[in-house]
Amino acid sequence: MIEVKSLEKIFGDKQALHDVSFQVKKGETFGFLGPSGSGKTTTIKILTGQMRQSSGTANVFGVPVSKLNTPEYRKRFGVVTDNSGLYARLTIYDNLKLYADLYGTSLQRIDEALESVNLGSEKKTQVAKLSKGMTQRVLLARTLLHKPELLFLDEPTSALDPANSKHIHNGLKELNRQGTTIFLTTHDMEEADHLCSQVAFLNKGVVQLLDEPKQLKKQYREEIIGIELKDGRELELPLKASSAEEIQQYISREMVERIYTKEPTLGDIFVEVTGRELV
Amino acid sequence: MTFSVKRFMAIFQKDLKDLYRNLYVSSTALMPLVFAVIYSRVGEVPLAMYLFVITLSLALVGTFLQCAIIAEEKEKNTLRGLMLSPATLTEILAGKSAVTIVITIIVTAVSMFIMGFSFDGRGWLIAGILLSLIFFIALGTWMGLITRSVLEASVYILPVMFIFGMANMFIGLADQFSFLQVLEYTPGIQLEEIANLGESGAGFDELWKPFAIIGAWVAATLVLAAVTFKKRMMD
Ligand SMILES: Nc1ncnc2c1ncn2[C@@H]1O[C@H](COP(=O)(O)OP(=O)(O)OP(=O)(O)O)[C@@H](O)[C@H]1O
Ligand SMILES: [Mg+2]
Repeated sequence: MIEVKSLEKIFGDKQALHDVSFQVKKGETFGFLGPSGSGKTTTIKILTGQMRQSSGTANVFGVPVSKLNTPEYRKRFGVVTDNSGLYARLTIYDNLKLYADLYGTSLQRIDEALESVNLGSEKKTQVAKLSKGMTQRVLLARTLLHKPELLFLDEPTSALDPANSKHIHNGLKELNRQGTTIFLTTHDMEEADHLCSQVAFLNKGVVQLLDEPKQLKKQYREEIIGIELKDGRELELPLKASSAEEIQQYISREMVERIYTKEPTLGDIFVEVTGRELV
Repeated sequence: MTFSVKRFMAIFQKDLKDLYRNLYVSSTALMPLVFAVIYSRVGEVPLAMYLFVITLSLALVGTFLQCAIIAEEKEKNTLRGLMLSPATLTEILAGKSAVTIVITIIVTAVSMFIMGFSFDGRGWLIAGILLSLIFFIALGTWMGLITRSVLEASVYILPVMFIFGMANMFIGLADQFSFLQVLEYTPGIQLEEIANLGESGAGFDELWKPFAIIGAWVAATLVLAAVTFKKRMMD
């Protein structure tokens, strides 16, 4: 679906992307993670034909991104960026109707798309009166109208409360199940962990790590067993045969409150790999 | 190059709906009607006054409206979304131009109706107005492509108003200020010329000249708009 090799983008004297390479296969939900200013939006802009790269190759649907500017290709993908706009004086419905007409989809899709972002009852509301999170959901609904094969989302849930984030996450998972490939950027490691089949860590314009979240967590897992005892003590023992006897003793003496392994979060791994906080 | 009538109509309908709720821009576009009402109270007015209101309509609606609705799409980040949809810039601009053309014709026709001016037997004038309309819309399109907000558009429209929209009024001062004589060549004055020649029953041997001058303006602004358009398609 997406193939990116040695992508570089230079703005004047500022280099936003140094050497970005990755692949996204059909059916994946690919998470592009990185702190502010790391080049996530720049990458999306290049991949969607809004900006030209300085060097390197970027192919989407097997063709160079410079060839994507035709109505036929544009019908195959959808984009929500952080600075997408809606027509404030029009209603939610009229905003979506414009896009339904532009994409040539049935008007029935408007209701379905609004339902999937939990806005089914707000059709007639003027966009100017919406909160930031609602606006973001309308934008998402707008890109779902034509059921794109490939969906680019630039921080889709950054303005949403947990309940609505969860709703959107479920919607995205369903969409992915139906075959849409999703490329999403986020700061939110839990979101990435929850949704993505692959994640790439972007730092200062370089992809520093790329793998499945599960693999990453396994690889960076600390080989430690934690034990919380009923008397309040907390112990950390190495995950080795030599610990077995000690642990068995605590259990047989009924001293144990809880036993756990130490799973790193993607955020922890990011800090370890890049030496930077993901803010 | 594909052109989809369906997408063109979608943009046209959206812009019409949006304009209906856009008080600032639509009230500006209705200004010529205010002048029409005032002049209709004056009683007998010279032909030049009708041409003044017609030219004002062309500039305020044709140019300002076109410029403002393009600029607003950029200001509110909605143009980006359209450009990522299957709609092409040609379809987008065509849809907007259609809205502007319809409103310009309505405002011009209504203001002439208010002033009791009849287009009967003035085929040349109608042809001249339609030709000038292309100039004013091309000018508005070009300005829309180079301005980034409605506020900026409102500032840029001022010189256009004075030079092209009100030439028919300022030309009266040309005796005192000789530099104003350049206004002779504006489409507004050429329209007045066409109206006068038509009134006196002149033929095309005399009428070709004002048409040629307006035609030159049309050609120049079309080229300007097309070059800017090409540049914008690139980035
Ligand atoms: N049009 C531009 N002109 C100049 N510099 C730019 C431009 N767009 C982005 N940059 C720079 O490129 C770098 C990467 O920006 P980008 O917007 O891609 O980051 P990001 O990862 O999306 O950040 P955020 O999480 O804050 O959205 C930044 O240093 C930014 O200042
Ligand atoms: Mg960004």
